Amino acid sequence: MTSLDLSTDRPARRHSLSLSIGLALVGLNVVVAILTLFWTPYDPLNASGGRLEAPSWLHWVGTDRLGRDYLTQIMIGARTALIVGTGAVAIGASIGVTLGILAAFATRLLDDVMAATLDILIAFPTLLLAMLVVAASDSASLWSAILALGLAISAIVARLTRILAKRVLRQDYIIASRTSGTSWLGVVAWHVLPNIWPTLSVNFALQFGLAVIAEASLSYLGLGAPPPNASWGRLLQEAQGTVYTAPVGSIAPGIALVALVIGMNLFADGLRDVGDPTRRRSR
Amino acid sequence: MSALLSVQGLTVRAGGKTVVSDLSFSIGSGERMGLIGESGSGKSMTAMAITGLLPPNISVTGSIVLDGQEIVGTEDKHLNRLRGVATAVVFQEPLTALDPLMKIGKQIAEPVRRRLQREQGRASRQAVGREVLDLLDKVALPQPERIANAYPHEVSGGQRQRVAIAMALACRPKLLIADEPTTALDVTTQAEILKLLDGLVRETGMALLFISHDLPVVAEVVQRVMVLRDGIALEEGAVIDVFANPSHDYTQTLVDAARMFDEALGRTGS
Repeated sequence: MTSLDLSTDRPARRHSLSLSIGLALVGLNVVVAILTLFWTPYDPLNASGGRLEAPSWLHWVGTDRLGRDYLTQIMIGARTALIVGTGAVAIGASIGVTLGILAAFATRLLDDVMAATLDILIAFPTLLLAMLVVAASDSASLWSAILALGLAISAIVARLTRILAKRVLRQDYIIASRTSGTSWLGVVAWHVLPNIWPTLSVNFALQFGLAVIAEASLSYLGLGAPPPNASWGRLLQEAQGTVYTAPVGSIAPGIALVALVIGMNLFADGLRDVGDPTRRRSR
Repeated sequence: MSALLSVQGLTVRAGGKTVVSDLSFSIGSGERMGLIGESGSGKSMTAMAITGLLPPNISVTGSIVLDGQEIVGTEDKHLNRLRGVATAVVFQEPLTALDPLMKIGKQIAEPVRRRLQREQGRASRQAVGREVLDLLDKVALPQPERIANAYPHEVSGGQRQRVAIAMALACRPKLLIADEPTTALDVTTQAEILKLLDGLVRETGMALLFISHDLPVVAEVVQRVMVLRDGIALEEGAVIDVFANPSHDYTQTLVDAARMFDEALGRTGS
Protein backbone atom coordinates (compact mmCIF):
# COMPACT_ATOMS: atom_id res chain seq x y z
CA MET A 1 0.00 0.00 0.00
CA THR A 2 2.96 2.29 -0.47
CA SER A 3 1.61 3.88 -3.61
CA LEU A 4 -1.91 4.52 -2.36
CA ASP A 5 -3.09 7.59 -4.19
CA LEU A 6 -5.61 9.57 -2.21
CA SER A 7 -5.43 12.80 -4.14
CA THR A 8 -8.77 13.79 -5.53
CA ASP A 9 -7.56 16.24 -8.11
CA ARG A 10 -6.13 13.62 -10.41
CA PRO A 11 -7.26 14.45 -13.94
CA ALA A 12 -10.28 12.39 -14.91
CA ARG A 13 -9.70 9.66 -17.43
CA ARG A 14 -11.56 10.73 -20.50
CA HIS A 15 -10.98 7.82 -22.84
CA SER A 16 -11.52 4.12 -22.82
CA LEU A 17 -10.51 1.43 -25.28
CA SER A 18 -14.10 0.41 -26.04
CA LEU A 19 -14.93 4.00 -26.79
CA SER A 20 -12.06 4.30 -29.27
CA ILE A 21 -12.80 1.03 -31.09
CA GLY A 22 -16.54 1.69 -31.10
CA LEU A 23 -16.04 5.23 -32.29
CA ALA A 24 -13.76 3.98 -35.10
CA LEU A 25 -16.27 1.37 -36.31
CA VAL A 26 -19.29 3.66 -36.13
CA GLY A 27 -17.27 6.56 -37.50
CA LEU A 28 -16.17 4.51 -40.51
CA ASN A 29 -19.79 3.70 -41.15
CA VAL A 30 -20.81 7.34 -40.93
CA VAL A 31 -18.00 8.44 -43.24
CA VAL A 32 -18.92 5.80 -45.81
CA ALA A 33 -22.60 6.70 -45.58
CA ILE A 34 -21.87 10.39 -46.18
CA LEU A 35 -19.44 9.52 -48.96
CA THR A 36 -22.15 7.67 -50.89
CA LEU A 37 -24.08 10.91 -51.18
CA PHE A 38 -21.31 12.25 -53.42
CA TRP A 39 -19.39 9.32 -54.75
CA THR A 40 -19.61 5.56 -55.12
CA PRO A 41 -17.15 3.31 -57.02
CA TYR A 42 -19.84 2.60 -59.61
CA ASP A 43 -23.37 3.72 -60.29
CA PRO A 44 -25.47 1.39 -58.13
CA LEU A 45 -27.59 0.49 -61.17
CA ASN A 46 -24.62 0.02 -63.50
CA ALA A 47 -24.68 -3.67 -64.42
CA SER A 48 -21.62 -3.56 -66.62
CA GLY A 49 -19.60 -6.12 -64.67
CA GLY A 50 -19.72 -9.84 -65.25
CA ARG A 51 -22.15 -12.04 -63.33
CA LEU A 52 -21.00 -13.00 -59.83
CA GLU A 53 -17.44 -11.92 -60.41
CA ALA A 54 -14.93 -12.74 -57.68
CA PRO A 55 -13.19 -9.81 -55.96
CA SER A 56 -10.72 -8.08 -58.26
CA TRP A 57 -9.03 -4.72 -58.65
CA LEU A 58 -12.02 -3.51 -60.66
CA HIS A 59 -14.63 -4.78 -58.22
CA TRP A 60 -13.09 -5.06 -54.75
CA VAL A 61 -15.88 -7.21 -53.35
CA GLY A 62 -16.97 -8.69 -56.67
CA THR A 63 -20.30 -8.27 -58.43
CA ASP A 64 -23.81 -9.57 -57.87
CA ARG A 65 -25.79 -11.85 -60.18
CA LEU A 66 -26.78 -8.89 -62.36
CA GLY A 67 -23.19 -7.71 -62.65
CA ARG A 68 -23.53 -4.70 -60.35
CA ASP A 69 -20.62 -3.65 -58.17
CA TYR A 70 -21.02 -5.18 -54.74
CA LEU A 71 -18.94 -2.65 -52.80
CA THR A 72 -21.18 0.16 -54.05
CA GLN A 73 -24.26 -1.61 -52.73
CA ILE A 74 -22.71 -2.34 -49.35
CA MET A 75 -21.68 1.30 -49.04
CA ILE A 76 -25.21 2.45 -49.79
CA GLY A 77 -26.43 -0.20 -47.33
CA ALA A 78 -24.39 1.57 -44.64
CA ARG A 79 -26.40 4.71 -45.30
CA THR A 80 -29.67 2.81 -45.05
CA ALA A 81 -28.59 1.18 -41.77
CA LEU A 82 -27.60 4.50 -40.23
CA ILE A 83 -30.84 6.18 -41.27
CA VAL A 84 -32.89 3.34 -39.81
CA GLY A 85 -30.91 3.15 -36.57
CA THR A 86 -30.86 6.90 -35.98
CA GLY A 87 -34.47 7.41 -37.01
CA ALA A 88 -35.84 4.55 -34.94
CA VAL A 89 -33.84 5.51 -31.84
CA ALA A 90 -34.79 9.19 -32.21
CA ILE A 91 -38.49 8.32 -32.38
CA GLY A 92 -38.18 5.74 -29.61
CA ALA A 93 -36.19 8.06 -27.35
CA SER A 94 -38.41 11.11 -27.68
CA ILE A 95 -41.65 9.20 -27.13
CA GLY A 96 -40.18 6.78 -24.60
CA VAL A 97 -38.40 9.26 -22.33
CA THR A 98 -41.42 11.59 -22.27
CA LEU A 99 -43.81 8.77 -21.39
CA GLY A 100 -41.41 7.30 -18.84
CA ILE A 101 -40.95 10.59 -17.00
CA LEU A 102 -44.69 11.22 -17.01
CA ALA A 103 -45.29 7.73 -15.62
CA ALA A 104 -42.76 8.33 -12.86
CA PHE A 105 -44.69 11.41 -11.77
CA ALA A 106 -48.17 10.00 -12.40
CA THR A 107 -50.61 8.97 -9.70
CA ARG A 108 -50.55 5.35 -8.62
CA LEU A 109 -53.48 4.28 -10.81
CA LEU A 110 -52.29 5.99 -13.99
CA ASP A 111 -48.79 4.67 -13.39
CA ASP A 112 -50.07 1.10 -13.03
CA VAL A 113 -52.10 1.41 -16.23
CA MET A 114 -49.10 2.75 -18.12
CA ALA A 115 -46.79 0.08 -16.74
CA ALA A 116 -49.20 -2.69 -17.73
CA THR A 117 -49.69 -1.23 -21.22
CA LEU A 118 -45.95 -1.00 -21.72
CA ASP A 119 -45.45 -4.59 -20.56
CA ILE A 120 -48.04 -5.80 -23.08
CA LEU A 121 -46.41 -3.77 -25.86
CA ILE A 122 -42.99 -5.12 -25.01
CA ALA A 123 -44.30 -8.69 -24.90
CA PHE A 124 -45.27 -8.22 -28.55
CA PRO A 125 -42.31 -9.28 -30.73
CA THR A 126 -40.71 -6.19 -32.29
CA LEU A 127 -40.27 -7.79 -35.67
CA LEU A 128 -43.89 -8.94 -35.80
CA LEU A 129 -45.08 -5.46 -34.86
CA ALA A 130 -42.85 -3.94 -37.52
CA MET A 131 -44.10 -6.41 -40.13
CA LEU A 132 -47.71 -5.54 -39.29
CA VAL A 133 -47.08 -1.81 -39.58
CA VAL A 134 -45.16 -2.17 -42.83
CA ALA A 135 -47.76 -4.52 -44.27
CA ALA A 136 -50.55 -2.15 -43.24
CA SER A 137 -48.96 0.86 -44.91
CA ASP A 138 -49.66 1.29 -48.62
CA SER A 139 -46.15 0.90 -49.88
CA ALA A 140 -43.36 -0.99 -48.21
CA SER A 141 -40.98 1.83 -47.48
CA LEU A 142 -38.04 2.62 -45.30
CA TRP A 143 -40.08 5.16 -43.36
CA SER A 144 -42.80 2.82 -42.25
CA ALA A 145 -40.11 0.42 -41.05
CA ILE A 146 -38.43 3.23 -39.10
CA LEU A 147 -41.72 4.29 -37.55
CA ALA A 148 -42.59 0.74 -36.57
CA LEU A 149 -39.19 0.09 -35.01
CA GLY A 150 -39.29 3.50 -33.30
CA LEU A 151 -42.61 2.69 -31.66
CA ALA A 152 -41.36 -0.68 -30.47
CA ILE A 153 -38.24 0.96 -29.02
CA SER A 154 -40.29 3.68 -27.33
CA ALA A 155 -42.07 1.07 -25.20
CA ILE A 156 -38.77 -0.37 -23.99
CA VAL A 157 -37.28 3.08 -23.38
CA ALA A 158 -40.42 4.25 -21.55
CA ARG A 159 -40.31 1.32 -19.17
CA LEU A 160 -36.63 1.80 -18.47
CA THR A 161 -37.01 5.58 -18.02
CA ARG A 162 -39.90 5.08 -15.62
CA ILE A 163 -37.94 2.77 -13.35
CA LEU A 164 -34.76 4.85 -13.46
CA ALA A 165 -36.60 8.13 -12.88
CA LYS A 166 -38.51 6.67 -9.94
CA ARG A 167 -35.28 5.56 -8.35
CA VAL A 168 -33.72 9.00 -8.78
CA LEU A 169 -36.83 10.77 -7.50
CA ARG A 170 -36.57 8.90 -4.20
CA GLN A 171 -33.11 10.31 -3.49
CA ASP A 172 -32.48 12.90 -0.81
CA TYR A 173 -30.90 15.32 -3.26
CA ILE A 174 -34.21 15.60 -5.07
CA ILE A 175 -35.92 16.54 -1.82
CA ALA A 176 -33.06 18.88 -0.95
CA SER A 177 -33.40 20.51 -4.35
CA ARG A 178 -37.16 20.75 -3.93
CA THR A 179 -36.87 22.35 -0.49
CA SER A 180 -34.63 25.00 -1.96
CA GLY A 181 -37.41 25.85 -4.38
CA THR A 182 -36.64 24.00 -7.62
CA SER A 183 -39.77 23.28 -9.65
CA TRP A 184 -40.54 19.73 -10.80
CA LEU A 185 -39.55 20.69 -14.33
CA GLY A 186 -36.24 21.98 -12.99
CA VAL A 187 -35.72 18.76 -11.05
CA VAL A 188 -36.25 16.73 -14.22
CA ALA A 189 -33.88 18.86 -16.28
CA TRP A 190 -31.20 19.29 -13.62
CA HIS A 191 -31.20 16.03 -11.75
CA VAL A 192 -33.36 13.31 -13.25
CA LEU A 193 -32.25 13.42 -16.89
CA PRO A 194 -28.50 13.73 -16.16
CA ASN A 195 -28.69 10.89 -13.66
CA ILE A 196 -30.58 8.48 -15.89
CA TRP A 197 -28.64 9.47 -19.02
CA PRO A 198 -25.66 7.10 -18.53
CA THR A 199 -27.98 4.09 -18.40
CA LEU A 200 -30.32 5.42 -21.08
CA SER A 201 -27.56 6.19 -23.57
CA VAL A 202 -26.25 2.66 -23.29
CA ASN A 203 -29.75 1.40 -23.93
CA PHE A 204 -30.15 3.73 -26.92
CA ALA A 205 -27.00 2.34 -28.51
CA LEU A 206 -28.21 -1.19 -27.84
CA GLN A 207 -31.57 -0.38 -29.42
CA PHE A 208 -29.74 1.20 -32.35
CA GLY A 209 -28.00 -2.09 -33.02
CA LEU A 210 -31.23 -4.04 -32.64
CA ALA A 211 -33.03 -1.65 -35.01
CA VAL A 212 -30.31 -2.13 -37.63
CA ILE A 213 -30.64 -5.89 -37.31
CA ALA A 214 -34.46 -5.66 -37.40
CA GLU A 215 -34.32 -3.59 -40.56
CA ALA A 216 -31.99 -6.13 -42.14
CA SER A 217 -34.47 -8.85 -41.20
CA LEU A 218 -37.37 -6.89 -42.68
CA SER A 219 -35.43 -6.31 -45.89
CA TYR A 220 -34.45 -9.95 -45.95
CA LEU A 221 -38.16 -10.76 -45.87
CA GLY A 222 -38.84 -8.18 -48.59
CA LEU A 223 -40.52 -5.70 -46.22
CA GLY A 224 -37.76 -3.13 -45.95
CA ALA A 225 -36.44 -0.55 -48.32
CA PRO A 226 -37.60 -1.43 -51.84
CA PRO A 227 -34.99 -1.68 -54.62
CA PRO A 228 -32.97 0.13 -55.79
CA ASN A 229 -32.24 1.29 -52.22
CA ALA A 230 -29.61 -1.17 -51.14
CA SER A 231 -29.98 -2.69 -47.71
CA TRP A 232 -27.70 -5.25 -46.11
CA GLY A 233 -30.67 -7.49 -45.39
CA ARG A 234 -31.70 -7.53 -49.02
CA LEU A 235 -28.13 -8.13 -50.15
CA LEU A 236 -27.98 -11.15 -47.84
CA GLN A 237 -31.25 -12.46 -49.19
CA GLU A 238 -30.15 -12.05 -52.81
CA ALA A 239 -26.82 -13.70 -52.14
CA GLN A 240 -28.33 -16.66 -50.35
CA GLY A 241 -28.87 -18.68 -53.55
CA THR A 242 -25.21 -18.44 -54.45
CA VAL A 243 -23.73 -18.81 -50.99
CA TYR A 244 -21.55 -21.75 -52.12
CA THR A 245 -20.51 -20.48 -55.51
CA ALA A 246 -19.96 -16.82 -54.53
CA PRO A 247 -19.59 -16.70 -50.73
CA VAL A 248 -18.29 -13.13 -50.72
CA GLY A 249 -21.81 -11.88 -51.47
CA SER A 250 -23.08 -13.28 -48.17
CA ILE A 251 -20.01 -12.65 -46.06
CA ALA A 252 -19.44 -8.98 -46.93
CA PRO A 253 -22.81 -7.53 -45.91
CA GLY A 254 -22.75 -9.79 -42.86
CA ILE A 255 -19.42 -8.35 -41.76
CA ALA A 256 -20.67 -4.80 -42.35
CA LEU A 257 -23.77 -5.48 -40.23
CA VAL A 258 -21.85 -7.07 -37.38
CA ALA A 259 -19.20 -4.34 -37.43
CA LEU A 260 -21.77 -1.57 -37.06
CA VAL A 261 -23.72 -3.31 -34.30
CA ILE A 262 -20.64 -4.26 -32.30
CA GLY A 263 -19.17 -0.81 -32.87
CA MET A 264 -22.31 0.79 -31.51
CA ASN A 265 -22.30 -1.42 -28.42
CA LEU A 266 -18.63 -0.75 -27.70
CA PHE A 267 -19.23 2.94 -28.23
CA ALA A 268 -22.07 2.85 -25.68
CA ASP A 269 -19.93 1.03 -23.18
CA GLY A 270 -17.15 3.56 -23.49
CA LEU A 271 -19.61 6.43 -23.37
CA ARG A 272 -20.91 5.20 -20.03
CA ASP A 273 -17.43 5.02 -18.56
CA VAL A 274 -16.63 8.54 -19.67
CA GLY A 275 -20.03 10.03 -18.93
CA ASP A 276 -20.27 8.82 -15.34
CA PRO A 277 -17.81 10.67 -13.08
CA THR A 278 -18.18 8.09 -10.31
CA ARG A 279 -16.82 5.42 -12.64
CA ARG A 280 -14.00 7.51 -14.00
CA ARG A 281 -11.78 7.54 -11.00
CA SER A 282 -11.97 3.89 -10.11
CA ARG A 283 -10.43 2.74 -13.37
CA MET B 1 -41.56 36.46 20.02
CA SER B 2 -43.71 35.92 16.94
CA ALA B 3 -43.86 32.30 15.92
CA LEU B 4 -42.04 31.54 12.68
CA LEU B 5 -43.38 28.03 12.66
CA SER B 6 -46.56 27.00 14.39
CA VAL B 7 -47.68 23.38 14.33
CA GLN B 8 -51.15 22.63 15.69
CA GLY B 9 -52.65 19.17 16.07
CA LEU B 10 -50.46 17.68 13.35
CA THR B 11 -51.42 14.11 12.51
CA VAL B 12 -49.68 12.09 9.82
CA ARG B 13 -51.04 8.75 8.63
CA ALA B 14 -49.23 6.39 6.30
CA GLY B 15 -50.69 3.11 5.12
CA GLY B 16 -53.38 2.97 7.82
CA LYS B 17 -50.84 3.56 10.56
CA THR B 18 -50.66 6.78 12.52
CA VAL B 19 -47.06 7.94 12.42
CA VAL B 20 -47.50 11.29 14.13
CA SER B 21 -50.54 12.05 16.25
CA ASP B 22 -51.82 15.39 17.47
CA LEU B 23 -48.45 17.10 17.65
CA SER B 24 -48.31 20.79 18.56
CA PHE B 25 -45.32 23.07 18.94
CA SER B 26 -43.99 26.35 17.72
CA ILE B 27 -40.64 27.88 16.93
CA GLY B 28 -39.99 31.60 17.12
CA SER B 29 -37.63 33.29 14.68
CA GLY B 30 -34.05 32.69 15.68
CA GLU B 31 -35.04 30.01 18.16
CA ARG B 32 -33.29 26.64 18.25
CA MET B 33 -35.41 23.63 19.02
CA GLY B 34 -34.65 19.93 19.15
CA LEU B 35 -36.89 17.02 18.28
CA ILE B 36 -35.75 13.84 20.00
CA GLY B 37 -36.86 10.27 19.64
CA GLU B 38 -35.71 6.86 18.52
CA SER B 39 -36.08 5.74 14.93
CA GLY B 40 -39.69 5.40 13.85
CA SER B 41 -40.89 7.94 16.37
CA GLY B 42 -42.11 10.26 13.62
CA LYS B 43 -39.35 12.89 13.81
CA SER B 44 -38.47 12.87 10.14
CA MET B 45 -42.13 12.63 9.10
CA THR B 46 -42.78 15.81 11.05
CA ALA B 47 -39.89 17.53 9.27
CA MET B 48 -41.09 16.41 5.85
CA ALA B 49 -44.61 17.57 6.67
CA ILE B 50 -43.23 21.04 7.45
CA THR B 51 -41.56 21.20 4.03
CA GLY B 52 -44.82 19.99 2.47
CA LEU B 53 -42.92 17.32 0.56
CA LEU B 54 -44.59 14.17 1.87
CA PRO B 55 -45.77 11.89 -0.94
CA PRO B 56 -49.49 12.20 -1.75
CA ASN B 57 -50.31 8.74 -0.34
CA ILE B 58 -49.44 9.97 3.15
CA SER B 59 -52.27 11.90 4.74
CA VAL B 60 -51.56 15.00 6.78
CA THR B 61 -54.16 16.71 8.96
CA GLY B 62 -53.94 19.55 11.42
CA SER B 63 -52.26 22.84 10.78
CA ILE B 64 -48.71 23.90 10.00
CA VAL B 65 -48.23 27.63 9.60
CA LEU B 66 -44.78 28.56 8.36
CA ASP B 67 -43.92 32.22 7.98
CA GLY B 68 -47.61 33.09 7.79
CA GLN B 69 -48.44 30.46 5.20
CA GLU B 70 -50.56 27.39 5.90
CA ILE B 71 -48.77 24.31 4.56
CA VAL B 72 -51.32 21.55 5.08
CA GLY B 73 -53.62 21.26 2.09
CA THR B 74 -51.91 24.00 0.09
CA GLU B 75 -51.15 23.33 -3.53
CA ASP B 76 -47.59 22.49 -4.38
CA LYS B 77 -46.96 25.38 -6.73
CA HIS B 78 -47.85 27.90 -4.02
CA LEU B 79 -45.52 26.17 -1.59
CA ASN B 80 -42.72 26.33 -4.10
CA ARG B 81 -42.41 30.07 -3.56
CA LEU B 82 -42.04 29.47 0.16
CA ARG B 83 -39.36 26.81 -0.21
CA GLY B 84 -35.85 28.03 0.10
CA VAL B 85 -37.15 31.34 1.41
CA ALA B 86 -38.62 29.97 4.60
CA THR B 87 -36.99 26.56 5.03
CA ALA B 88 -34.06 24.46 3.92
CA VAL B 89 -33.15 20.95 4.99
CA VAL B 90 -29.88 19.23 5.85
CA PHE B 91 -30.16 15.46 5.65
CA GLN B 92 -28.69 12.56 7.54
CA GLU B 93 -26.80 10.89 4.72
CA PRO B 94 -24.55 13.43 3.01
CA LEU B 95 -23.81 11.12 0.09
CA THR B 96 -27.39 10.80 -1.09
CA ALA B 97 -28.16 14.44 -0.35
CA LEU B 98 -25.93 15.55 -3.22
CA ASP B 99 -26.48 14.80 -6.88
CA PRO B 100 -23.63 12.39 -7.72
CA LEU B 101 -23.33 13.61 -11.31
CA MET B 102 -23.21 17.33 -10.67
CA LYS B 103 -20.16 19.27 -9.60
CA ILE B 104 -20.46 20.65 -6.09
CA GLY B 105 -20.11 24.27 -7.16
CA LYS B 106 -22.95 23.88 -9.63
CA GLN B 107 -25.24 22.33 -7.02
CA ILE B 108 -24.74 25.23 -4.65
CA ALA B 109 -24.99 27.75 -7.49
CA GLU B 110 -28.56 26.77 -8.30
CA PRO B 111 -30.21 27.98 -5.05
CA VAL B 112 -27.83 30.96 -4.95
CA ARG B 113 -28.88 31.99 -8.45
CA ARG B 114 -32.54 31.68 -7.55
CA ARG B 115 -32.10 33.78 -4.41
CA LEU B 116 -30.19 36.55 -6.20
CA GLN B 117 -32.81 36.57 -8.92
CA ARG B 118 -35.48 36.94 -6.28
CA GLU B 119 -33.69 39.60 -4.27
CA GLN B 120 -32.08 41.67 -7.00
CA GLY B 121 -33.99 40.69 -10.09
CA ARG B 122 -30.85 39.41 -11.79
CA ALA B 123 -28.01 37.02 -11.10
CA SER B 124 -24.78 37.47 -12.97
CA ARG B 125 -22.47 34.52 -13.38
CA GLN B 126 -19.71 36.30 -11.44
CA ALA B 127 -21.96 37.21 -8.53
CA VAL B 128 -23.19 33.63 -8.24
CA GLY B 129 -19.65 32.28 -8.46
CA ARG B 130 -18.39 34.64 -5.80
CA GLU B 131 -21.27 33.73 -3.51
CA VAL B 132 -20.64 29.99 -3.98
CA LEU B 133 -16.98 30.32 -2.98
CA ASP B 134 -18.07 32.49 -0.08
CA LEU B 135 -20.45 29.84 1.15
CA LEU B 136 -17.85 27.08 0.85
CA ASP B 137 -15.51 29.28 2.84
CA LYS B 138 -18.20 29.93 5.41
CA VAL B 139 -18.67 26.21 6.12
CA ALA B 140 -14.89 26.03 6.64
CA LEU B 141 -14.04 23.94 3.61
CA PRO B 142 -10.39 24.16 2.61
CA GLN B 143 -9.58 25.22 -0.96
CA PRO B 144 -13.10 26.31 -1.98
CA GLU B 145 -12.12 26.43 -5.68
CA ARG B 146 -11.04 22.79 -5.68
CA ILE B 147 -14.15 21.64 -3.80
CA ALA B 148 -16.43 23.60 -6.14
CA ASN B 149 -14.92 21.76 -9.09
CA ALA B 150 -15.12 18.32 -7.47
CA TYR B 151 -17.88 15.75 -7.69
CA PRO B 152 -19.50 14.64 -4.42
CA HIS B 153 -17.72 11.25 -4.43
CA GLU B 154 -14.37 13.00 -4.56
CA VAL B 155 -14.66 14.61 -1.13
CA SER B 156 -14.95 13.05 2.33
CA GLY B 157 -18.17 12.43 4.25
CA GLY B 158 -17.63 15.32 6.62
CA GLN B 159 -16.85 17.62 3.70
CA ARG B 160 -19.97 16.45 1.90
CA GLN B 161 -22.07 17.35 4.94
CA ARG B 162 -20.45 20.79 4.97
CA VAL B 163 -21.39 21.14 1.31
CA ALA B 164 -24.96 20.11 2.14
CA ILE B 165 -25.04 22.77 4.86
CA ALA B 166 -23.65 25.33 2.40
CA MET B 167 -26.45 24.39 -0.01
CA ALA B 168 -29.05 24.89 2.70
CA LEU B 169 -27.49 28.22 3.68
CA ALA B 170 -27.43 29.33 0.05
CA CYS B 171 -31.15 29.98 0.31
CA ARG B 172 -30.75 32.06 3.50
CA PRO B 173 -33.79 30.34 5.00
CA LYS B 174 -35.56 31.60 8.08
CA LEU B 175 -35.78 28.06 9.41
CA LEU B 176 -33.13 25.41 8.95
CA ILE B 177 -34.30 21.85 9.43
CA ALA B 178 -31.43 19.53 10.28
CA ASP B 179 -32.58 15.91 10.07
CA GLU B 180 -29.98 13.87 11.96
CA PRO B 181 -27.17 15.84 10.30
CA THR B 182 -24.38 14.15 12.26
CA THR B 183 -25.62 10.59 12.55
CA ALA B 184 -23.75 9.27 9.53
CA LEU B 185 -20.46 10.88 10.59
CA ASP B 186 -17.72 9.74 12.91
CA VAL B 187 -17.48 11.26 16.36
CA THR B 188 -14.75 13.82 15.65
CA THR B 189 -16.42 15.01 12.48
CA GLN B 190 -19.71 15.09 14.36
CA ALA B 191 -18.32 17.56 16.86
CA GLU B 192 -16.94 19.76 14.09
CA ILE B 193 -20.20 19.83 12.17
CA LEU B 194 -22.15 20.61 15.34
CA LYS B 195 -19.83 23.48 16.14
CA LEU B 196 -20.18 24.76 12.59
CA LEU B 197 -23.98 24.52 12.63
CA ASP B 198 -24.16 26.17 16.03
CA GLY B 199 -21.94 29.04 14.93
CA LEU B 200 -23.79 29.57 11.65
CA VAL B 201 -27.19 29.54 13.27
CA ARG B 202 -26.11 32.09 15.86
CA GLU B 203 -24.37 34.23 13.26
CA THR B 204 -27.20 34.33 10.71
CA GLY B 205 -29.98 34.43 13.28
CA MET B 206 -32.01 31.73 11.57
CA ALA B 207 -34.21 29.38 13.53
CA LEU B 208 -33.20 25.74 13.80
CA LEU B 209 -35.20 22.58 14.08
CA PHE B 210 -32.70 19.92 15.03
CA ILE B 211 -33.81 16.33 14.75
CA SER B 212 -31.82 13.59 16.40
CA HIS B 213 -31.95 10.47 18.52
CA ASP B 214 -28.73 11.47 20.23
CA LEU B 215 -29.43 13.44 23.40
CA PRO B 216 -25.96 14.89 24.04
CA VAL B 217 -25.79 16.06 20.43
CA VAL B 218 -29.13 17.82 20.70
CA ALA B 219 -28.26 19.37 24.03
CA GLU B 220 -25.24 21.05 22.51
CA VAL B 221 -27.07 23.11 19.93
CA VAL B 222 -30.65 23.77 21.00
CA GLN B 223 -32.46 25.73 23.68
CA ARG B 224 -35.68 23.78 23.83
CA VAL B 225 -36.42 20.11 23.20
CA MET B 226 -39.44 17.97 22.56
CA VAL B 227 -39.35 14.23 23.16
CA LEU B 228 -41.30 12.06 20.76
CA ARG B 229 -42.29 8.42 21.02
CA ASP B 230 -44.51 6.59 18.55
CA GLY B 231 -45.60 9.91 17.12
CA ILE B 232 -46.73 11.30 20.47
CA ALA B 233 -45.07 14.22 22.22
CA LEU B 234 -44.10 13.05 25.72
CA GLU B 235 -42.65 16.25 27.07
CA GLU B 236 -41.31 19.60 26.06
CA GLY B 237 -39.21 22.22 27.75
CA ALA B 238 -35.85 23.91 28.12
CA VAL B 239 -32.93 21.56 27.50
CA ILE B 240 -31.58 21.85 31.04
CA ASP B 241 -34.92 21.14 32.68
CA VAL B 242 -35.80 18.19 30.52
CA PHE B 243 -32.42 16.55 30.99
CA ALA B 244 -32.05 17.35 34.67
CA ASN B 245 -35.61 16.50 35.73
CA PRO B 246 -37.27 14.34 33.11
CA SER B 247 -40.96 14.29 33.93
CA HIS B 248 -41.57 11.19 31.88
CA ASP B 249 -40.12 7.72 32.41
CA TYR B 250 -39.27 7.38 28.74
CA THR B 251 -37.16 10.54 28.77
CA GLN B 252 -35.43 9.25 31.88
CA THR B 253 -34.60 6.03 30.03
CA LEU B 254 -33.20 7.99 27.11
CA VAL B 255 -31.10 10.14 29.41
CA ASP B 256 -29.84 7.10 31.27
CA ALA B 257 -29.07 5.25 28.08
CA ALA B 258 -27.11 8.21 26.75
CA ARG B 259 -25.23 8.50 30.02
CA MET B 260 -24.36 4.81 30.05
CA PHE B 261 -23.27 4.97 26.45
CA ASP B 262 -21.07 7.95 27.24
CA GLU B 263 -19.52 6.21 30.19
CA ALA B 264 -18.89 3.12 28.11
CA LEU B 265 -17.14 5.27 25.53
CA GLY B 266 -15.26 7.17 28.21
CA ARG B 267 -16.74 10.47 27.13
CA THR B 268 -17.03 12.92 29.99
CA GLY B 269 -19.96 15.20 30.48
CA SER B 270 -22.44 16.08 27.79
